[in-house]
Amino acid sequence: MQSDLVLRVAGESGEGVITIGETLCKIAAREGIHIVTFRTFPAEIKGGSCMIQVRLSERRIPYHGEGVDFLICLNQDAVDENLPDLKEHGVLLCEAECDLPEKNPGWTVYKAPFDRIATREIGSRISKNIVVLGALSHLLSLPKETIEKFISEKFARKGKTVLDHNLDALQRGFDFARSHLAKKDSYRLPKGSGRKRLLMTGNEAIAIGATAAGMRYFFGYPITPASEIMEWLAAHLPKMGGMVLQTEDEISAICSVAGASWAGGKSMTSTSGPGLSLMSETIGLLSMAEIPAVIVDSQRGGPSTGMPTKTEQSDLLLALYGSHGDATRVVMAPTSVSDSLRVTALAFAVAEKYQLPVIMLVDQALSARLETVDRETVERLPQGSRSCASPADGAPFVRYQLGASAVSPAALPGTQGGEHMVTGMEHDERGNFACDEETHTAMTVKRFRKLAAIESDPLVAEFCTRLGDENSEIGIVTWGSSAGPVEEALAVAKGMGISAQAIIPRILNPLPHQELKTFFGKVKRVIVPELNFVGQLATLLRSTYRIPTIGLTKVKGVPLDPSEIVEKIVEAESTLNARSTRAYGRAG
Amino acid sequence: MEELDKSCEYLSGVCPVWCPGCGYYGILSALVEAFADLKLPTKELTLVSGIGCSSRLPYFVKAYGFHSIHGRGLPIAQGVKTANPELTVLAVGGDGDGLAIGGGHLPHVARNNVDITYLLFNNAIYGMTKGQFSPTTTLYPVTKTSPFGLAGEAINPSALAIVYGATFVARGFSVKKEHLKELIIQGIHHRGFSFIEVLASCSSFNTTDMNVARIVKNLEMIPEDHNPEDAIEALRLAADQEKIRLGVFVRHQRPTLGDKFQEMRRKAKGKGAGNMEALLGQFA
Ligand SMILES: Cc1ncc(C[n+]2csc(CCOP(=O)(O)OP(=O)(O)O)c2C)c(N)n1
Ligand code: SF4
Repeated sequence: MQSDLVLRVAGESGEGVITIGETLCKIAAREGIHIVTFRTFPAEIKGGSCMIQVRLSERRIPYHGEGVDFLICLNQDAVDENLPDLKEHGVLLCEAECDLPEKNPGWTVYKAPFDRIATREIGSRISKNIVVLGALSHLLSLPKETIEKFISEKFARKGKTVLDHNLDALQRGFDFARSHLAKKDSYRLPKGSGRKRLLMTGNEAIAIGATAAGMRYFFGYPITPASEIMEWLAAHLPKMGGMVLQTEDEISAICSVAGASWAGGKSMTSTSGPGLSLMSETIGLLSMAEIPAVIVDSQRGGPSTGMPTKTEQSDLLLALYGSHGDATRVVMAPTSVSDSLRVTALAFAVAEKYQLPVIMLVDQALSARLETVDRETVERLPQGSRSCASPADGAPFVRYQLGASAVSPAALPGTQGGEHMVTGMEHDERGNFACDEETHTAMTVKRFRKLAAIESDPLVAEFCTRLGDENSEIGIVTWGSSAGPVEEALAVAKGMGISAQAIIPRILNPLPHQELKTFFGKVKRVIVPELNFVGQLATLLRSTYRIPTIGLTKVKGVPLDPSEIVEKIVEAESTLNARSTRAYGRAG
Repeated sequence: MEELDKSCEYLSGVCPVWCPGCGYYGILSALVEAFADLKLPTKELTLVSGIGCSSRLPYFVKAYGFHSIHGRGLPIAQGVKTANPELTVLAVGGDGDGLAIGGGHLPHVARNNVDITYLLFNNAIYGMTKGQFSPTTTLYPVTKTSPFGLAGEAINPSALAIVYGATFVARGFSVKKEHLKELIIQGIHHRGFSFIEVLASCSSFNTTDMNVARIVKNLEMIPEDHNPEDAIEALRLAADQEKIRLGVFVRHQRPTLGDKFQEMRRKAKGKGAGNMEALLGQFA
């Protein structure tokens, strides 16, 4: 039996495609199977094609899979669009009326009149997806009782008639498949460990991570693909004594965060590129006034309004440099859903401990993807807190003390004897505006010393990982969700007899210099895969370390495929072997 | 004398950087006298401001002060009050700060009825940047950036605040210090968003619009029998072109943002327990 199954459901938005995918995920997660999904969203509110791809595996998987084993198509458009991705010996389950190409490379095809069963036999066209689930439960030997339970949970609130329609749909789909679709292929659900896993999206993981870190004040403005973070928190944070406020714009959101945080509450906002652009000025204020804040940017295709429902990693330079002046900030990027949980908690720990803004970059694909998460992840989250002073009565409080430590203790409003100013102007140790030569230099150094301290803080040690063969001369540096395809590509290359290694920093400012320098000392080629046009991480690495890089960029609105990375590895390998006189690959 | 000593306790000792003759001095002294009258503990006093001459005020007061960026004092103050409802939160800023660059925040802080007191210093000019017109410039149309006159009509701050639904709207005058002090005391006492427009002259760049003699000549106190729950009448008074009305236009009660948060928390708790275990349950 195979250990891995890549399944894709495709149809028109509104046909219940996502419900089919999600139900499969829920069943599998309860069995202890590992899951990573990828889904596309139509640009329109209603209609348009959409799909969800689910990869199920016995072991932990970094990526949603390239090529499909089991394809389910609800209409002709879905067949036309998705059949090219079906593997040679894959399975197609589709609507009976769909036309298929004459040439069949070895697919097993099952056809079923889902539409007819739903409209004629059940009398409810929208129950078509449940009919499909019924057929699937036969073809993949899914536990039908578990599906029934899910359907009951999902439709209970809609009344008995709706629930009965759906249970009937499930039964009829199952019956049709049992009597008409004799199993001809060997695909099944992979075996689960039996240890139940949590199933959540990237956005949910961020919300959970923030809540677990003690964040209680959230201010935000709706924007695709980040809105679900605010929506989840709006429903659940008040239970924890916290609050969510939808503000009039992103400037108000980040400023409210600044105020709440200065008053002592752990606070955050989430947005996408357009919102981060608007927040730039306030990021400088947070940096100057030394106020903790966590800002999540779920990146989408840009610039401007760009492609709201498509993924991209093109806000790195904005996150690193957006805002005028020498504005300190930390930039982080988790690689997966469970990583998002941990890095969100880390963002709060670092923001609080070092009193500065932390921008966490995710992207549309990561925000929306469902993934299994081990429960222990939530129990072992990084922690850090703000250092607060107990001011002496009488003497004025010195908020921005220059001294041995890079971090000067704060006094929260309400603290006896701690009255002081915080300000976006350059200031002296007490917070009074000052623009003399010495003060501006000393205070700028003070703010940047915090970045140096973060780099060597044990708190961040485990947030830079190495993958692959540590002796290989082919190196890959990547960030964020592109780490998944990179991990997969390393395995594929290894299978081809080519060794390569990768380094994946979760903190992109300050960069983990020690680790990166060691890495660059070992490799002779540096490939930098990322989802933007100019090669934003590559630009940063070249300017910081003066090394040539081989760019691998993509702006198609979808994640990198491992094969695209493997191709670059093979190319790099050939230049190594040829002992080319060109010392390195071209700078991309 | 004793009075004076008390209000001095609210001064930080930092010397104001305003020009001689600036109307803002009057506002500062009315403010600290109001604090002294209210006997507010300085540790619970927070003053948030944007950018402008007016926004420099927090430096001069003994309190927790936040001098932020242009136009953003209100949302910052909203955040402060949300995270610590025990604090007495005031926001201060100029007419450019609050009605031009930050003009988008006022309607929302007003409709949310955030329990803070906002003093909008109306000098009808950009003082800090040395004399460009502001959204309230009227009688002094030839400014540095309007050498051939103004393109737009002036905004009436108090009228705007009434229309936005602020639950306390008043207008004071920096020269009438006692009256202004009383307004500030009432504003701080008021549960909800208090908007106080303070007329003040910019001695350096616009002495026409807020000319003291002109205002003294044209001012008229809001009649004692005005019903502050009558928003239509309040609007008529605030928008009066002939007379400059001073006093409280609007005062009424409705739940504050903090009250709404309490209610939401109560409702949410009815929907599930407030612990991580319960929250994670939905993902199992
Ligand atoms: C984003 C931004 N734009 C412009 C400025 C420059 N600026 C500083 S204060 C100010 C206007 C001040 O006028 P007002 O708010 O009426 O306050 P006043 O100085 O009259 O008290 C301007 C335009 C700035 N600081 N920030
Ligand atoms: S420029 Fe005008 S507003 Fe600013 S301090 Fe001078 S007089 Fe006051």
